[in-house]
Amino acid sequence: MIWQILLLSGVVLFSILAILSKDLIKSAISLALASLFLGILFFQMNAPYAGVFEISVVAGLITVLFMLTIALTKAEGDVRESKLARLIFPLVFVAFILIDVLVMKGLLQKVPALPETSESGAFGDVLWKQRTFDLIGQLAIILAGVFSVLALFRKRNKDE
Amino acid sequence: MIFLFIGLPLVVAALLPLIGKISKRVLPDLLANAVFLLLLVLAVTAGRQVISEGPVLKQLNWLGEPVGITVAVDGFSLFMLMAISLLTLCVSLYSIDYMERYGAKANYYALLLMMAAGMNGLVLVTDLFNVYLFLEVAAIASYALVAYGLEHDELEASFKYLMLSVIASAAILISIAVLFGMTGSLGFTAVAAGLRSLDAKFVVGFCAALFIMGFGLKAALIPFHAWLPDAHPSAPAPISAILSGLLIKVSGVYALTRILFNVFGLTPALSQVLMYLGAVSIVVAAFLALGQKDMKRLLAYSSISQVGYVVLGIGIGTPLGIAGGLFHLFNHALAKGLLFLNSGSVQHATGTRNLEEMGGLAKRMPVTAATSLIGSLSIVGVPPLSGFWSKLIIIMALVQAKEWPLALVAILASVLTLWYYLLMQRKAFFGKLDEKWKNVKEAPFWMTASTVILALLSIGVGLFFSAFIKSWIQPASDVLARGIHLALGSWGI
Repeated sequence: MIWQILLLSGVVLFSILAILSKDLIKSAISLALASLFLGILFFQMNAPYAGVFEISVVAGLITVLFMLTIALTKAEGDVRESKLARLIFPLVFVAFILIDVLVMKGLLQKVPALPETSESGAFGDVLWKQRTFDLIGQLAIILAGVFSVLALFRKRNKDE
Repeated sequence: MIFLFIGLPLVVAALLPLIGKISKRVLPDLLANAVFLLLLVLAVTAGRQVISEGPVLKQLNWLGEPVGITVAVDGFSLFMLMAISLLTLCVSLYSIDYMERYGAKANYYALLLMMAAGMNGLVLVTDLFNVYLFLEVAAIASYALVAYGLEHDELEASFKYLMLSVIASAAILISIAVLFGMTGSLGFTAVAAGLRSLDAKFVVGFCAALFIMGFGLKAALIPFHAWLPDAHPSAPAPISAILSGLLIKVSGVYALTRILFNVFGLTPALSQVLMYLGAVSIVVAAFLALGQKDMKRLLAYSSISQVGYVVLGIGIGTPLGIAGGLFHLFNHALAKGLLFLNSGSVQHATGTRNLEEMGGLAKRMPVTAATSLIGSLSIVGVPPLSGFWSKLIIIMALVQAKEWPLALVAILASVLTLWYYLLMQRKAFFGKLDEKWKNVKEAPFWMTASTVILALLSIGVGLFFSAFIKSWIQPASDVLARGIHLALGSWGI
């Protein structure tokens, strides 16, 4: 239990750092660390698949993409951030924690243990046999993403 | 057959970038329009037969083996499929000429097809997580399409749209996660049954609030509307037509009503919330529209206002109210699609969207002016155009439900609507022709053809409204009026 609380605090702490830090690289690393802690939490709570995906994709792949993007772009002019944004975040954060505590307490008391339905089963079974439609949807999302990138990074041909 | 609505656009979209290497214009034009035409014909003819005996559940068979892909077809989803196919076909016809100057047509059609596949998928699925997935498919394609011109304004609008849309998706996803935690299931039927046996009012309220916020953002109801007046005007005109005419209704109104009515069951409190959200949107957006000088921005604000009517009608919860709301959804899709296409024709001819600079364009662009007048009058609610009947039904339903103040709001807001549409017509098409527009020509063939089709449909549906209501609206509103019994009864557990 104490481990879980420590890990959870790590997730929250590094998430806040990722938002508040002014250096983009530090932001990206904080985000990676936050998701690493989250991944370990998943392992702790007997969800190895979720843990593997969290660590390999979010902590690994996405961080690499962020780093690449940061390396390939350069700062252009000074964009002044309004001070209001800095003030608002702590307020929203406190409000969120309050709502979270109140709502989740009420929710958790009422949540029944997950019933054994037809959807439980081996991971691969669930993914390939019962959630086949999700795979089609994910395929479509990836396709849409690829087309979006093609469209947004196309060279505008003035003659066309 | 029903699976074609999702599969066909997906497959053709995947092939289009390759085909674009062989033929830059002709083949992509032909292929995309053929797909939309085929889907429209399927929805109107074969789709009706599928549900002739009531709602059905279809499972996909692959090489004789059933696969875990199930869709449900009932009056509501078929009605939406028909609306989607009809407007996407008109928009795609319009794009043949309009998208010439943007280049990369194959890529454009691929994104348009993806968006159509996403919307079709969304109206057919029977599972909360699938709703989320197809919502994202349509949304991702739309971000790219809004920014398709690659100018500064367009990229900024697209970014704003993306950010607010992500908040909406997060709210929806949290709600789905909580529901999964409570019921251990994601299917509409199982969640509806699970919530009934749990008797967890607090949780249902919490999830409903998150859904209303998430889908309300997608539908751009006030106070969740901030992104729409930027995103819709910035997109290329055919995309504005789809976004305003269809996307906010499919990913906002359809998804929200399907879940609230058929999974949660409409409670009096929910009904009140929906009605007041609708009424506030109608009034506030109408006032905001009055002050606009940008033609497309005015139309965008008008969309928020008209979606307010749709939500107000459906929110009443009586069969008459639902029918009125759905009928208005269809009429607004036709008329607002038409008006956005016309604004594109005007921009194509004059190069400006600023109403102050226009004037007297009716002399140079008679077809565009005439169809635009029909679209405006239909949205305003002038008989015998289709918009009149749907507004009349909504107001009748409000009176029948004894919601006098809201009925008054709906009537008075119509006057505001008339005001800003007449302002738009006068500034753009009537009055004296400015010297600098004397060389302006009518839009090319396909652009005018698709607006004429939409204008004729607005008149036709208005003249034969009772037949249209009987064959399309009634089956759709029956589905919603049956509430959670639909999910529990006809689809079976």
